[in-house]
Amino acid sequence: MTVPILDVRDLSYAYPGGIPALSGIGFAIGRGRKLAVLGANGSGKTTLLLHLNGTLRPTGGTVRLDGEPVGYDRRGLAAWRRRVGLVLQDPEDQLFAATVAQDVSFGPLNAGLTDAEARGRVDEALTAMGIAGLAGRPTHMLSFGQKRRAAIAGILAMRPDVLLLDEPTAGLDAAGLGQLLATLDGLHAAGTTLIASTHDVDLAYAWADDVAVLDGGRLLRHGGAEAVLADRALLAEARLPGPFVLDLWQALRAGGLVAPDARSPRSRAGLLSLIGAGHPLFGRTGE
Amino acid sequence: MFAIDRNAWTNRWSRRHPLEKLTLALGMLALAVTLPPLTTGPLVLTVMAAAAILGAGVGVRDFALVLAVPAAFLLPSLALIALAVDLDDGLRVGLSAAAVRDAAEVGARSVAAMACLAFLVLTTPVTDVLTVLRRAGLPTAVIELMFLIYRLVFVFVERAVAARRAQAARLGYATRRQGVRSLGLLAAGLFQRALVQGRRMETGLAARGHIDDLRVLSPDWPAAPRAYAHIATVLCAVAAAGTGLDGLAA
Repeated sequence: MTVPILDVRDLSYAYPGGIPALSGIGFAIGRGRKLAVLGANGSGKTTLLLHLNGTLRPTGGTVRLDGEPVGYDRRGLAAWRRRVGLVLQDPEDQLFAATVAQDVSFGPLNAGLTDAEARGRVDEALTAMGIAGLAGRPTHMLSFGQKRRAAIAGILAMRPDVLLLDEPTAGLDAAGLGQLLATLDGLHAAGTTLIASTHDVDLAYAWADDVAVLDGGRLLRHGGAEAVLADRALLAEARLPGPFVLDLWQALRAGGLVAPDARSPRSRAGLLSLIGAGHPLFGRTGE
Repeated sequence: MFAIDRNAWTNRWSRRHPLEKLTLALGMLALAVTLPPLTTGPLVLTVMAAAAILGAGVGVRDFALVLAVPAAFLLPSLALIALAVDLDDGLRVGLSAAAVRDAAEVGARSVAAMACLAFLVLTTPVTDVLTVLRRAGLPTAVIELMFLIYRLVFVFVERAVAARRAQAARLGYATRRQGVRSLGLLAAGLFQRALVQGRRMETGLAARGHIDDLRVLSPDWPAAPRAYAHIATVLCAVAAAGTGLDGLAA
């Protein structure tokens, strides 16, 4: 196996005052994978993401980037953050400049690009997020969905190898969610490693290659989404429901409506297209 | 304040070079302050109102509102200037022609000056003015601070409004007593939230490689050399008319 892009080893973290937040977390993230960090509220998802770009420094254990332990000095952090971008949950925490274009230009300029190059990056990122028309708009005159997209554009403009997204779908409507997922698919196709925290098991099942399930600051399991999310006992321990599509599929299977060895579709759209295509297994209902 | 900001970003001249608008506003301000006020003042007021309302498309109500707020402070002062109080022969309050003329001059000057500033703030986003100041050589730290304050005022007010609504929904303002208590809690809560928000924003900035400066691209404004010729013409015309009319009157 090739060297994982991010490798977390025995990572522990306690907030100042000694409140433990993460303990003994270890897993490796493969290059170009889509990872969902899944957990209930307060399970440590955000804290874990903040370790993956060096915002928080672990009280125990290490984080490796391309197999090398990362440095927490100025230079180390700068190099790290050029490669690993972080999108905060609340775009209001991230947008600081007066207009959208100005805010997006911040990262590229910090990375040492010239004004002309930065301008190019801004256009590119705004186009990728579908908000090129909002370039000159003041940030306080955006809707929530637009703010979220502007915040992501601010990170995209840095062209990171790894994109960390903290609850990227929180507060988005169905259309906004669809646009976001389409954009993420585009990034994934271009080779970006995507790591998103969420408590939405349906989303994780439909979207992720891999899933890491957190509970109470511990990593319960990390592996392929299909295997991890079919583990009922594990999800129950993490206080999470099973994915709806999988529940439905298992119920159909238990009722003999689909073959015992048929693989569950991953998303609602997948399920519907199986039914719509007249999947032979559904034909048996009439018998 | 929000009416001003909304106009500044959405008027027809919003994307014009701020230096053009600054030149016009400050030029007119200079005329209003230096030339005979009784003739120049109304001219300046007319030109600035026309520029804002007809030129930039600012609403009449918004323009009037921006003038009305300082006017509320101006009127009592003018009354005091016009009134002559005499204590020699018992208390006598009266109007003298000279005092009334003084008051009229001060009033004309003040309203004209306010119109210049009203035009500027209603047509020019604050951040454009800051960018011009940055280019003029004001220290980066000061400018950055002003940019951040501008941005955060909106975040802060939005959160304050939301928090107040949430309090009101739980009867926080049902009685005056509760209202005072709720307002205190709101202030304390907002202070804490501001600190947390600041810390989170630091995280967000650091994630994008923030080290020392908050460097961002400046907006590009289309160059319009002819605009300055127009501005110069208007300034000269107002100056000539203001002095000329005053000469006729005298």
